[in-house]
Amino acid sequence: MPLFKQFFLQYFRYTSRINPFPFVKQLLTSHSLPMPLPYLLNKSFTIFLLSSLLICFSGNAQDIDLLLKGGHVIDPKNGISETIDIGITGKNIVKIAKNIPENTAKKTIDLKGYYVTPGLIDMHVHVFNGADTESYIANALTSLPPDGFTFRSGVTTVVDAGSSGWRNFRQFKAQTIDKSQTRVLALLNIVGTGMYGRLEEQDVTDMNPTMTANMITKMFPDILVGIKSAHYWGDFTQVDLAVEAGKLAEVPVMVDFGEHQPTNSIEALFMKHLRPGDIFTHTFSYGPNNRETIVDEDLKVKPFVFEAQKRGIKFDVGHGGGAFSFRQAVPAIQQGFLPDVISSDLHSQSMNSGFKDMANLLSKFMNMGLTMEEVVLRATWNPAQVINRKDLGHLDVGTEADIAIFTLRKGDFGFLDIRKTKIDGDKRLETEMTIRAGRVVWDLNGLSVPYWESEFK
Amino acid sequence: MRFFLIICFCVAYNMQAIGQEYDFLIKGAYLIDAKNDIRDTMDVAVSDGKIVSVSKNIPVILAKKVIEASGLILSPGLIDPHTHVFVGSKSKTFADGFYSVSPDDFTFRSGITTVVDAGTSGWRNFETFKTNVIDASKTRVLAFLNISGTGMSGDSTQENLSDMDAKKAYETLKLYSDILVGIKIGHYTGTDWLPFENALQASGKAGKPLLVECHLPEYSLADQLNKMRPGDIITHSFEEIDERLPIIDSEGRLHPFVKAAYERGINFDVGHGGAGFWFSQAIPAYQQGLVPNSFGTDLHRFSMNSGMKNMLNVMSKFINIGMRVEEVIEKASWKTAQAIHRPDLGHLSEGAVADLTLLKLHEGDFGFIDAGKNKIEGKYKLETELTMKDGKVVYDLNGLAANKYH
Repeated sequence: MPLFKQFFLQYFRYTSRINPFPFVKQLLTSHSLPMPLPYLLNKSFTIFLLSSLLICFSGNAQDIDLLLKGGHVIDPKNGISETIDIGITGKNIVKIAKNIPENTAKKTIDLKGYYVTPGLIDMHVHVFNGADTESYIANALTSLPPDGFTFRSGVTTVVDAGSSGWRNFRQFKAQTIDKSQTRVLALLNIVGTGMYGRLEEQDVTDMNPTMTANMITKMFPDILVGIKSAHYWGDFTQVDLAVEAGKLAEVPVMVDFGEHQPTNSIEALFMKHLRPGDIFTHTFSYGPNNRETIVDEDLKVKPFVFEAQKRGIKFDVGHGGGAFSFRQAVPAIQQGFLPDVISSDLHSQSMNSGFKDMANLLSKFMNMGLTMEEVVLRATWNPAQVINRKDLGHLDVGTEADIAIFTLRKGDFGFLDIRKTKIDGDKRLETEMTIRAGRVVWDLNGLSVPYWESEFK
Repeated sequence: MRFFLIICFCVAYNMQAIGQEYDFLIKGAYLIDAKNDIRDTMDVAVSDGKIVSVSKNIPVILAKKVIEASGLILSPGLIDPHTHVFVGSKSKTFADGFYSVSPDDFTFRSGITTVVDAGTSGWRNFETFKTNVIDASKTRVLAFLNISGTGMSGDSTQENLSDMDAKKAYETLKLYSDILVGIKIGHYTGTDWLPFENALQASGKAGKPLLVECHLPEYSLADQLNKMRPGDIITHSFEEIDERLPIIDSEGRLHPFVKAAYERGINFDVGHGGAGFWFSQAIPAYQQGLVPNSFGTDLHRFSMNSGMKNMLNVMSKFINIGMRVEEVIEKASWKTAQAIHRPDLGHLSEGAVADLTLLKLHEGDFGFIDAGKNKIEGKYKLETELTMKDGKVVYDLNGLAANKYH
């Protein structure tokens, strides 16, 4: 059959130079058929030609490698929340349209009843995994290799939140980033040694805005998307140095402001020290002795928090093992304050806590009242914009095919915070399939593969 | 009146005292405990990291925390006898390398409290493994010691005959007898039987099993099984690759010498991995009476996101192939504990360590994938609800042990 097909492809290529599809053209342009139809059909060579023509057409038209058919697509950037098909060829999305015919694709996956979203972006993780047992997060076991957590929860891109600084970023890159299937981006810590340990993170002499900015702009602009300021015990010095570096490199700064005793003013942080576009993480943390909370003891969102969001400060969840409490999140959401980005703060102390994985975390917010479109926005297009990576977090034709497919399970579920309190819920997202750069990298129930008996057919 | 008040106070005080007797009471679950021959609804009480009571209807007043578990299965903490967890930063290798994974990332969320590393380290680098991973993990990490001195180092030393030292291996086994459960051989491409003999010798002297992997292309399967003793373990049982003769022949029949080895007491571990599990082997084998003795996942970087996924997924495959749920759970707990000579694990006897898991058996339409990227459909799938290790809740999917937020 391939030889046969090849022959006719060449035949039509040849004839089309003179007159494309001469036979068809003749059929269409004549008011009356050149010969009676029965006569035409009797001509076996004509039938031969007609059928070969069909085969050639269908062969040529199978330009889609993988067709995702019939799923409910949620693509917040493009305002899509409806049943629509997605065509993937090679690494990229090549078509998004209603009812793409199956015969235009080499392989079709029926996604009726499933939700299809851009691959999730987890904007706050710690993945600088390594075997330095003296270290806390940089090159240490507290950080996790990303691939074991990402694909099984629909994540295709993670942003490491300052595990490395300019001194050890290249080790991080060689060791983890270059070896992972997950797309790993990173915020560079303002401290040169990153998160080696709490003590080292206080060293103001190792917070070098110029070297930090150079590392980002001159060395790794494709990977380094911002700067991290975290775990500082002193005044605003560290934040100010991080912002100085942020100005030099024209990237946002993410602040974990959680270890001041007594607490530092978050109003001053939002209104004076940070720029619009900078990020406040661990938004719903409740540890009032270390970090000023956004919701007061009377469960009211502090007025300046709304002002800060209007000013352009981005609020990131950063759930973690100690930074998400319902007593902050539930009142905030009820009063109309929604986080800009939903992220995990994945590391070894958070992975088995109230946080489980990103799909579970998005479900938690859905059960606190957000719609599926709202949670997907906060884990796709919103973080992409915050880190200035507008090539990610959407399903535009021409972009790399990073796609997540979910089942929305209905039932009786529970969701925990880090204070070992819970809410009940009636819905939970489960990751059915994940596609990274056009390749299926997670397939829970085998939607993309044949039955085993097919081996013997 | 005063007397009455004193009585009331005393009663209340005593009630409170009684009420603090148990840290946790798991109530109403269906307990599967093969060692104690229990397949029944039972309450289980936990205090100070130990199982303190197993009986019908333990009063809730006796416990500080009650976990309502009706409709769930209560199993001893599961044991995964085949993993690669000597994780480190070396590229392109398992020993101290990026190809291994951290155990805690995968265990508790699939009901596992104990993993056995399958010879990723040898006598030369076991101590690094111990410091970096075993001592730093919340999961109980046991290990087979590779007969090769550097374990799965991926370089030429892995095949160095003089490094496959039975004496050194035995000495290490003795020194760390609380962690090391046996010897492993795998990854040898030569024809010399010395490595195999040394592995048999070291494990035999220590009275512990030998685990045989399949990357031994010059040894015939029949010869390997003939040399193995009852209690030794062969893994990747359902593999269908060129490296080793598959146990099912091209006509779909189980090789008689394989069946004979199974009946002689050789343990057949699944060792799923990225390439080690094929329905075209497992289904005919099961139908012809070869039921796996344990459900090793062969967890590592290349299996974790494949058809394997996690141990409950591997166990669920066998439920859908036809095994009874009780049998699957018994094999993944007590039978595996026996296979690695750790009778202190895999059961919930009073006084035993409180390693346990609550599982939910979901009914629905599921699919399961093998290494050849083929699938079966299935109606059943196990999911972890809660895992407890040493009497502490280490994973709680839906907050069974949590308080309501309001």
